[in-house]
Amino acid sequence: MRRFADIFARRSMRLSAAVPGLIVFLIFLALVGKSRTILGLKSFTGLLFGSGWHPLKGEFGFWPFISGTLWVTLAAMVLAVPISLLTAIYLSEYAPRSVRELAKPMIDLLAGIPSVVYGVWGVLIIVPFVGNVLAPAFGVTSSGYSVLAAGIVLAVMVFPTIIHVSLEVFASVPHALREASLALGATTWETVKHVVLRKGIQGIIAAVVLGLSRAFGETMAVLMVVGNVARSPRSIFDPGATLPSLLANNYGEMMSIPLYDSALMLAALVLFAVVLVFNIAARIFLVRIERRTE
Amino acid sequence: MVRICRAAAVVILGAILVPFGLSGQNAPKLLSGTVTLSGAWALYPMAVKWAEEFKKLHPGVRIDVQAGGAGKGMADALTGMADFGMVSREINPEETKRGALAFAVTKDGVVATVSARNPLLREIMKRGVTQARFVAIWITGSAKTWGEALGGIPDAKAIHVFTRSDACGAAETWAAFLGKHQEDLGGVGVYGDPGLADAVRRDPLAIGFNNINFAYDPKTLRPVDGIAVVPIDLDGSGTIEPAEAVYATRDDITGAILRKIYPSPPARDLYLVSKGRPVRTAAAEFLRWVLTDGQRFVPETGYIPVGAEQLKKGLSSIK
Repeated sequence: MRRFADIFARRSMRLSAAVPGLIVFLIFLALVGKSRTILGLKSFTGLLFGSGWHPLKGEFGFWPFISGTLWVTLAAMVLAVPISLLTAIYLSEYAPRSVRELAKPMIDLLAGIPSVVYGVWGVLIIVPFVGNVLAPAFGVTSSGYSVLAAGIVLAVMVFPTIIHVSLEVFASVPHALREASLALGATTWETVKHVVLRKGIQGIIAAVVLGLSRAFGETMAVLMVVGNVARSPRSIFDPGATLPSLLANNYGEMMSIPLYDSALMLAALVLFAVVLVFNIAARIFLVRIERRTE
Repeated sequence: MVRICRAAAVVILGAILVPFGLSGQNAPKLLSGTVTLSGAWALYPMAVKWAEEFKKLHPGVRIDVQAGGAGKGMADALTGMADFGMVSREINPEETKRGALAFAVTKDGVVATVSARNPLLREIMKRGVTQARFVAIWITGSAKTWGEALGGIPDAKAIHVFTRSDACGAAETWAAFLGKHQEDLGGVGVYGDPGLADAVRRDPLAIGFNNINFAYDPKTLRPVDGIAVVPIDLDGSGTIEPAEAVYATRDDITGAILRKIYPSPPARDLYLVSKGRPVRTAAAEFLRWVLTDGQRFVPETGYIPVGAEQLKKGLSSIK
């Protein structure tokens, strides 16, 4: 009887462990299947790099959305990476234990806030700030609904990812190395620069890439502040549109216009593929570090 | 232990008996089940009112109403996620082909809105905006300043054009008024009716559009705080004559739509859409009630009744 229970437990757990992996695969297959209709009619590069988005006229150019996504993600990373890395370095190397123990849960808390809350905060605070303060300071007019507003909101959203992973990476750097460096007369900053950062560079890249894929796929918060204009932005004060916002805004029209559902599925497939590649890359870097520290 | 068992038995017995007791009271016509509605913001306040009143008659029925834009309503109805999609635009042939059956249940309209803090507010109210100038603002983008938008006055302050980002009836109807579709409307896209109203309220140089029931306050019947409704210069005379000034209160604008002074579009019919005839009893009964007794609540909720012809047509296609 106990043996039977053991076998049963093992089998059922193996089955449930296979489910998540299988689902990813099934989603991928469904997206490919659905987007084949439009790929059979139009060239893939024409769709990716076409700049006209007029579904009723049968024009499906994704470039405004792809470039918008890249702009927003880039803006977010430019803001988030330096701040998150400096925070992680401070918490890991300088801060007294009590500060670190207090700061860590606070930062993780940021990760748990629903994205629509970030969106509301963006609309109420960041959009007017960009429109009334930052844009005039740079001598441009902007409604505030812009790539920059989306970038700022996203930056705050990816802080916890980058800080959390970087902290773990720094913790995996052996203490003996730091002590050796300090014993040679290096200051803490020199130790950070030459030992901790050098040793952890792959992990930092992984942290950044994980943050990147979070930023790339974020939907609601971006949709609420980015302006949703289907035209490639020319400056960070221009409104733009992203692939996730395209999907969220228009999935309702899927039923009404021929080819629209297939086009949206292709957009989803592109998004899915990019995020998957990012995640695999980050995973590879992280696994390498784990092996090295063992 | 015995006492706990006994208590549990009483509770269970009660739970079994109570529903029987209830059904005994009004046994002949007890409706039960859930009716789900999803879609247009334009229909949301009306649907909520109908749901409340219908529940008073049939306490056993649960009615879920969700707003998310006409497009979502249509998609939810066609995929079977909702009994009825609330749709605030005309039905596309493609949708009819997929089985969408639309019932016109009421009417409302879309109005252009500006911030109450607009520096040219008095001029806007005096002159109004012609359809051609709306086209220059939203479609061609050739009106870049408030001077160009109003015509004939020198003013170089930039006009901030807003539209809806989500696929929705308000934008589609407003675009139809300008001879185009939602995808042709320029301007910054904001999500949802309340979102657009809020963006316009906060930006003194903004122009946007809203469903009547988001532009007007349901309590005071005046335009929502911080928002002013832009009069349409219908005859192109360059001034708003008393006959064209139909925007002071919600009753004025709904009256103007009823008397066909306010053009259609942007006035439009609102639909409940089901995939084929509603089959579930509760859903069919709800729809029948909406097309008959439910019409009583239309004016007080801020909508305009549809013609008796359309109601009759709807009733005949339920069967």
